[in-house]
Amino acid sequence: MIRLHNIERSYPLGRGQMFYVLRDIDLDIAAGDFVSVMGPSGAGKSTLLHILGMHDHGWTGEFFLDETAVHHLKSKERATLRNEQVGFVFQQYHLLDDLTVYENLDIPLSYRHYSKSERAALVADALDRFQIVGKKDLYPRQLSGGQQQLVGVARAIIASPKLLLADEPTGNLHSSQGEEIMELFRKLNEEGMTIVQVTHSEKNASYGKRIVQLRDGWIV
Amino acid sequence: MLNDLRFAFRLLLKNPAFTAVGVIAIALGIGANTAVLSLVNALLIRPLPYRDPARMVLMLEHFRAQHLDAIPVSAPEFVDYQTNCRTLEKMAVFQPGTFNFAGGDRPERIFGAVGSADLFNVLGVAPIRGRAFEAADCTPGHDDVLIISERLWKRRFDGDPQIIGSKIVANGRGFTIVGVMPASFEFPIPLFGIQGAQFGERADVWQPLAFTAQEMKIRYSRGYAIVARLAQDVSAKQAQAELDPVTATMRKNYPDNYPQNDSFGITAFPLNEVVLGPMKPLLLILLAAVFLVLLIACANLTTMMLARAAAREREMGIRVALGAGRWRLLGQVLVESVLLSLCGGIAGVLLGIWGLDLLKRIGTQTVPRLSEVNLDWHVLIATFVIAVGTGIVFGLVPGLVSGDPNLTETLKEGGRGLSSGARRNRLRQALVIAEVALALVLLTSAGLLIKSFVQLQNVDAGFNPRNVLTMEISLPALTYTDNASQARFYNEAQKRIASILGIKHAGFTNILPMSGTNSDSSFGIEGRTSDYNNPSPDEEFRQVSPGFFEAMEISLLRGRQFSESDNSDAPPVTIINAALAKRYWPNEDAIGKRINIGASAAREKWATIIGIVGNVRHRGLDYDPLPEYYVPITQTPNNQAALVVRSSQDATSLISAIRSALRQIDPAQPIAHVRTLEQVVADSVAPRRLSIWLLGLFAAIALALASIGIYGVMSFLVVQRTHELGVRMALGAQRRDIVRLVVGHAAKLILTGTLIGLAFAFATTHLLAAMLYRVCPHDLTTFGFVTVVLGAIALIASYIPTSRVIRTDPMLALAHTA
Repeated sequence: MIRLHNIERSYPLGRGQMFYVLRDIDLDIAAGDFVSVMGPSGAGKSTLLHILGMHDHGWTGEFFLDETAVHHLKSKERATLRNEQVGFVFQQYHLLDDLTVYENLDIPLSYRHYSKSERAALVADALDRFQIVGKKDLYPRQLSGGQQQLVGVARAIIASPKLLLADEPTGNLHSSQGEEIMELFRKLNEEGMTIVQVTHSEKNASYGKRIVQLRDGWIV
Repeated sequence: MLNDLRFAFRLLLKNPAFTAVGVIAIALGIGANTAVLSLVNALLIRPLPYRDPARMVLMLEHFRAQHLDAIPVSAPEFVDYQTNCRTLEKMAVFQPGTFNFAGGDRPERIFGAVGSADLFNVLGVAPIRGRAFEAADCTPGHDDVLIISERLWKRRFDGDPQIIGSKIVANGRGFTIVGVMPASFEFPIPLFGIQGAQFGERADVWQPLAFTAQEMKIRYSRGYAIVARLAQDVSAKQAQAELDPVTATMRKNYPDNYPQNDSFGITAFPLNEVVLGPMKPLLLILLAAVFLVLLIACANLTTMMLARAAAREREMGIRVALGAGRWRLLGQVLVESVLLSLCGGIAGVLLGIWGLDLLKRIGTQTVPRLSEVNLDWHVLIATFVIAVGTGIVFGLVPGLVSGDPNLTETLKEGGRGLSSGARRNRLRQALVIAEVALALVLLTSAGLLIKSFVQLQNVDAGFNPRNVLTMEISLPALTYTDNASQARFYNEAQKRIASILGIKHAGFTNILPMSGTNSDSSFGIEGRTSDYNNPSPDEEFRQVSPGFFEAMEISLLRGRQFSESDNSDAPPVTIINAALAKRYWPNEDAIGKRINIGASAAREKWATIIGIVGNVRHRGLDYDPLPEYYVPITQTPNNQAALVVRSSQDATSLISAIRSALRQIDPAQPIAHVRTLEQVVADSVAPRRLSIWLLGLFAAIALALASIGIYGVMSFLVVQRTHELGVRMALGAQRRDIVRLVVGHAAKLILTGTLIGLAFAFATTHLLAAMLYRVCPHDLTTFGFVTVVLGAIALIASYIPTSRVIRTDPMLALAHTA
């Protein structure tokens, strides 16, 4: 599903010097895979994830997503592809504070070509699936961390992406809440969703099928 | 779209301070501009209420050697101009007139004008009912017709549809009403600035002017102004070029009446310039002021929107990560901006309407035609578009900035929503500097005007206006046919009124000081020869009754006041003021000297100087006193006079008693223009007061907006730096260190803005010079005071957000993520 070849990401330091966050990354991820990217802080894990999520455009190399050469696409084309294929779960949830749970779930659908009735139906489904119907009119600040991340996961998959990217999804959660989220990921993967997560936790990594280790920007 | 609208409403309600400031900034920008631009449009751009006013001129003579400018013409002179000028297609003369209307509840004095046959043709305005003057009306004995204003028709005659042909009695004479002029018609317009003319009120009555045979023989009796229409394709300059030879011929043909040099002449003033010229500087300054306010309001909006953009960077990043395209984001932000701007726009419209209404109420006495200024919809739309457009343009910044965000930085773990955005910070700070600079320019201007006004208020007018009542009286020529009857009236009236309980002194004068009118007359000095090449003096001339100087508390310096014995049977006497004594008898005692106040050398009337009184600033507090000489009104009567009454109590409480006393002498005698002398003085400085009020208001608005701008930017910067400040406090920084750091930064911005503002102010305040009284445009005290006030308020505005963070627990500050 995903093929990365010689991906590099660097930042200029001045005086012609460059700082490499990622060096010569070659990575293949099959459809239905559940990959955990691990490594010490500053290894480039989140950067790799954001490149996969097409949030970052300052990289070089080759990136194929289902035969589509992402490296040849313009940023607008990448955004379209991202909308169609990718969902993202953030460590800090990144829910919109001024929107209710219902509206937070509806937001990604409003950016895609869904009719009003389709959106209503999909949001209702998501609320029901994640058992948060009773919380649909609450604001993020009225939810616990676990509940917020639950909404974050629901929002990430509501448009049925093929690829789910999660950046330390349980990093701000209590262990039992974290387990809940990881169980949810396992279930989604069993249903066929390809998942790539960044994690520091061996326990979280154990939910996946394989681990990719990053150190100082290299895959080791 | 509905979702975006709902979200926009929610956001505005959730941030009341931001919303309020945004709405107020836009409202002030629109409201102030609308009110002033409506004024400017109506007074400077909209034409005068005549046909093609750009082709009209006002013609006034001058005798430069005698320092006489803008003086009226005589009847024979008018005929000469009319006969010899081809560049003027039509010409008419006019002079003020008052009409005592009899009948009704009580007699009423109405202001009007007397004009020659072609007057309404020159003005190009037709009556809405009846007819204009005809040539036959302007012959002696046939001038018993009147044209009235629509205003008077409705007020006094209840809009009687049979008004044309109605008979009325005015000035003791029967008249027939032959025409009604439209409500928009106004002539003469106040502030025509004709020396000796009393054009203080709006004219409601017009009577045809019939020159008498006697009048046609006297070239030196000048009481008429000429209004003329330029011929097709002729400019005022060309008309002037034709007039100069005409006056040269007059000098040649009548050497006894004119100096044999170019001291005498006539000038054709474009009518627009005469009416609007004095107002132009004030209006242009007001325009500049509201433009500055608009700039500050826009700068404020921009800084707020930029701060908001930064605060919402995280939200925008999330939306992009969730799939929002650039246009989708812009659309959402546009809805928010439009909503805020519309709220501000509506508030601005209301403010504009209210502001204009207020302007009309306080400025009607000062600005001609102000009462007919209405909200100009073109202006409203233009300012609405500017202010709302600014709100929309700068509200799009969050969308534009986030269209291609660095999502990685915005979204990753530990990423702080408020990016440093160094470029945007610099822009915000530059805007704050600009706001401070602009506010300083406005404040300095207002400060100079206020200081000037205070100086003016402390000027000694030469009289004491407290507890003095004034009113105007007009004795109809048909009832008071000779000097004796007029003198009897003044004598009797002065005695009766002076004896009313509560009145200390009463007296009459032909012209009240600071009433906007004037009269002068030439005189001869015994023992000194003069001719037209060495002209006789011409100074301010007043006709007063006994009791006048006491009522006004004008000090008697030498000699004695007028008394009852200075009547028409007694030898002529005169009282001069100190300025006249100094000018003509600088090294000798003027008491006992004689001056010839007769109409000509052939008709001498030698008056003995019996007293010297203190100087009075007749033309206004900001004019130096001029030489004046007074004669007893009983020896040289005038049918127009003002009564001056000094009382020991509130003078206005005596109006009824005074009216009653006058009615006992003449039941048909109305009084008009009743004002306290304090009101007269206040009205004389009304233009200055209006300009101060307005500039002061705009300066206060500018100061408020600039302070809010500073507060907003500093508040934002403090929030941005909360984590850093928390670290500093955890490392040992005391409160004063934090204050010094943050407020010090603000102080640099304020100082920069102040220096730039001072430079601009120095460069521009000379434009106010004409409006200042004994205050230099670069008055250092004012500049210094204003700088200190602005700096202090700005520093307080920057301290407030700082004080919040220094009271925060360092742990909380350390944990702060935006």
